[in-house]
Amino acid sequence: MIWEAVYKLGIWPPYLFPSPGEVAKALLWGFQDHSFLIGMGVSIQRILIGYFISLVFGIVLGILIGRFKILDETVGSLITGLQVLPSICWLPLAILWFGLSEQAIQFVIIMGAFLSIAIATDSGIRNIPPIYLRAAKTMGIKGIDLYARVIFPAALPSIATGMKLGWSFAWRSLMAGELIFVSVGLGHLLQTGRELNDMAQVMAVMITIVTVGLIFDRLIFARLEKRLRRQWGMTK
Amino acid sequence: MLLSIEGVTKEFIAQHDKVLVLDKISLQIKPGEFVCFVGPSGCGKTTLLNLIAGLEQSTDGLIRQNGEKITSPGSDRVVIFQETALFPWLNVIQNVEFGLVHRMEAQKRHEIARALLNLVHLSRFEKAYVHQLSGGMKSRVAIARALALNPSVLLMDEPFAALDAQTRDILHEEIEEIWSKTKQTIIFVTHNVREAVRLGDRVFVFTARPGRIKKEFLIELARPRDINSEGVVIYAKQIQQELREEIEKFLKEEVDREWTLKKADFLRPAGIDLGSGI
Repeated sequence: MIWEAVYKLGIWPPYLFPSPGEVAKALLWGFQDHSFLIGMGVSIQRILIGYFISLVFGIVLGILIGRFKILDETVGSLITGLQVLPSICWLPLAILWFGLSEQAIQFVIIMGAFLSIAIATDSGIRNIPPIYLRAAKTMGIKGIDLYARVIFPAALPSIATGMKLGWSFAWRSLMAGELIFVSVGLGHLLQTGRELNDMAQVMAVMITIVTVGLIFDRLIFARLEKRLRRQWGMTK
Repeated sequence: MLLSIEGVTKEFIAQHDKVLVLDKISLQIKPGEFVCFVGPSGCGKTTLLNLIAGLEQSTDGLIRQNGEKITSPGSDRVVIFQETALFPWLNVIQNVEFGLVHRMEAQKRHEIARALLNLVHLSRFEKAYVHQLSGGMKSRVAIARALALNPSVLLMDEPFAALDAQTRDILHEEIEEIWSKTKQTIIFVTHNVREAVRLGDRVFVFTARPGRIKKEFLIELARPRDINSEGVVIYAKQIQQELREEIEKFLKEEVDREWTLKKADFLRPAGIDLGSGI
């Protein structure tokens, strides 16, 4: 409504500020000629692969840092430092390493996501009340079993936060990567929209990006968090 | 002889300073005995329990179980903590089954857990999560979880200290009943003297830091005992006397060198109250 009203006020010319109707039409068009669907498909596939790799790397690295003091003192501060670097800054390096390929984009996603997952895992492990470990040990649990059945589930609330954060970082990195880097995908559609000076398409793609992000959040992370909160008794 | 503790000494290093916590403790525990440790706070009774559990290593001396040296934690010596340490990511029955996973198939451990929950009167709550339970119920689950492993020694570290008196009374009865059924050896750490007399076959009184065994009391009272019975109170009084000296020593060290415990002189003479409250 506000959008429509602002549009009607005519502060900006229509080619800079399209009406909701035009954006909806662009959305419809995009889906009808399958370009949005293809873009979504490509982007989602990329992010799923990249995110999955980040998840494995991040959790393993987080556990290792939490476990070995020497790693914490060396790699730990490096990770915090790297976290400051926006992941898109890895793109030039990735292009030189991998060329203009899928791997370059995956690399950017992974660099964006896995650090925050590793940090969250590490802090989750650090904050486990020692009494849980003692209780498990006195019941004869040790080694991998201790990690799988006590340390990991005890740290899971914190890991889940890291996963959620990692997901949004991954999604952002992917879009940034696709914008710069010519490839099919939602980010690329956004770029085409700009090149064709088609503001309606730009906005339609933005809406699609937000929607896809939200759907994944609702489907996966919101459910996971809700379940954890119920188990741990953090709901009212 | 099930457990034999031989000249166990434990030192902690705190800011370049060595603190002697346990000083050459020696004692023997027979199978099926109910033994209580009482002492002023900081006397190292919990440390001794952790040493028996294998969660910590002694500086000197050794602890043997059936002749074998204890070096690491094991499921034959399970600790029940005051904080219960139940796992919030598991429900009640999963908590009870926790130590049995990988030891037997699901069906069998489920049966064992059910039977134990029955024993501690919690069968209705098997699917509940830990945060939904009251303090007493948590203690019961912790007891069931430890019993599931069928340990030869049950180590209880002030398990009921955080509970209200009524719940504690009931749990005393239940733990005594379980003990007489399973014939497990129980080592029970508490600062509550009456609780120790109520439950123990033998009560060891510890000195203030460094912890030594000051005196051993053999409680020759018929079971089940009433915590308010005359017999319990008489024993408790003797133990309290021993403890009082230690607490005084401890307070002098911790609080103030001038500290002395006053001798019950705050009681008003009975005459003043005569006739009041009628």
